[in-house]
Amino acid sequence: MDRRRVNGPEQSIAPILKNVPVRTPLLDKGGKRVDQRTIDDLRPIFLKTGLVTQANGSAYIEVGNTKAVCAVYGPRQMKRAGFSSNGTLNCEFKFSTFSCTKRRTHMRDSEEKGYSQVLVEALAPAVRLELLPKSAVDIYINVLENDGTSSCLAAAIVAASTALADAGIEMLDQVTACSAVLSEKQIIMDGTEAEEQQKEGDVMISYMPSLNEVTHILQSGISDPAIISQAVEKCIDGCSKIYSVMSTALLQSLSNNNNDVDENKS
Amino acid sequence: METTAVTPGQRLGYAEDYTAGDGTYERDGILYASVVGLRSVDSNMDGELPTMTVVREKEQSAVPEVGSVITGKVIRVAPHSALIAIMVVGDTPCREDFSGSIRTQDVRAVEKDKVKIINSFRPGDIVRAEVISLGDARSYYLSTAKNEFGVIFATSVAGATMIPISWQEMQCPKTKTIEYRKCAKPF
Repeated sequence: MDRRRVNGPEQSIAPILKNVPVRTPLLDKGGKRVDQRTIDDLRPIFLKTGLVTQANGSAYIEVGNTKAVCAVYGPRQMKRAGFSSNGTLNCEFKFSTFSCTKRRTHMRDSEEKGYSQVLVEALAPAVRLELLPKSAVDIYINVLENDGTSSCLAAAIVAASTALADAGIEMLDQVTACSAVLSEKQIIMDGTEAEEQQKEGDVMISYMPSLNEVTHILQSGISDPAIISQAVEKCIDGCSKIYSVMSTALLQSLSNNNNDVDENKS
Repeated sequence: METTAVTPGQRLGYAEDYTAGDGTYERDGILYASVVGLRSVDSNMDGELPTMTVVREKEQSAVPEVGSVITGKVIRVAPHSALIAIMVVGDTPCREDFSGSIRTQDVRAVEKDKVKIINSFRPGDIVRAEVISLGDARSYYLSTAKNEFGVIFATSVAGATMIPISWQEMQCPKTKTIEYRKCAKPF
């Protein structure tokens, strides 16, 4: 008996595993998902700018049931002292306490801080920060309803990019984002919360359509490298579809401004 | 001149046909838009390429740059500098104030070593100044060392709007007392 060390029990018994929950198939016989989408279909998107009047730019996005608001303030002086010849992009990503299935805390937890960093990494390559020395651009995202976390993150990136353009901040290109859930060797585009419960992995791509450059890839879980590269291609295709929605929303806000000006004149 | 609405990242033309103006940038020989707005082509004089610009509807909140003229309010005076809240850059107001400071050597062009900040600015004065450098972490460096820069509006101790009588003095119309400021030349 070794008295110098802390010994474990001499006899140990393996724990009893509970029954593994039965997985419901995500696709039915006709290849359709619960909400009648095919495996490649994205949910319909509603995107509008100018919701938050006090901010320099803002956007509201709805993707299926996911709803998020983004407000952009800037360029303004950096709160923290520190000289930098390029501007800085700050992001605060917050789930509202009622937005997820399980109630979230008021304080930003580590998951939200991680997502804030993801947003900065996805958007920073597209913003011309070299034109804004000593200034900061602050992005605030508030998620009102979360139906699938990686697709919610993608929606937040789309909203943030639209809000930045609405604020008049110079950008190289808009940033679109699309996500996919990987489950049983299938690539399910734009997964909902129910589909994410059964995932083995997921992928989210942020992409600049006009310059054809990927700005950020977020992958989690277990997956095959071949499936990942296929999923990346599919997400880039999805991103190109979203681009037209973003451009329409921005051009619509432009024509609304013009109409207001004409009404004021006459 | 046709004007079409464009979004950031939209291709506008080839770099060999146009010069990149405001709101556009060039990459790999192609001009792209960098803001949401109306695209317009200004034809230059012969021999030069026409300039492609994108005129944006919503003005971006102004950022002070070296050489820009700013209007601001004096927040605090210290022995060797005055702290200014920059409120307007050129003609564009700032959504949120930037912070600038005027050091003693930048108050005026003559007798720089004999400057007393308390006789040049007081808290509450509105000044017009020029940005001379990006400054340090906390504030931009401003200068009022030209005739057209300095205090443009000040209130006397009695509460009335003062009238500048020389580049160094302002007079209160109510009490006729003279207070010292570095005044800007009225237009």
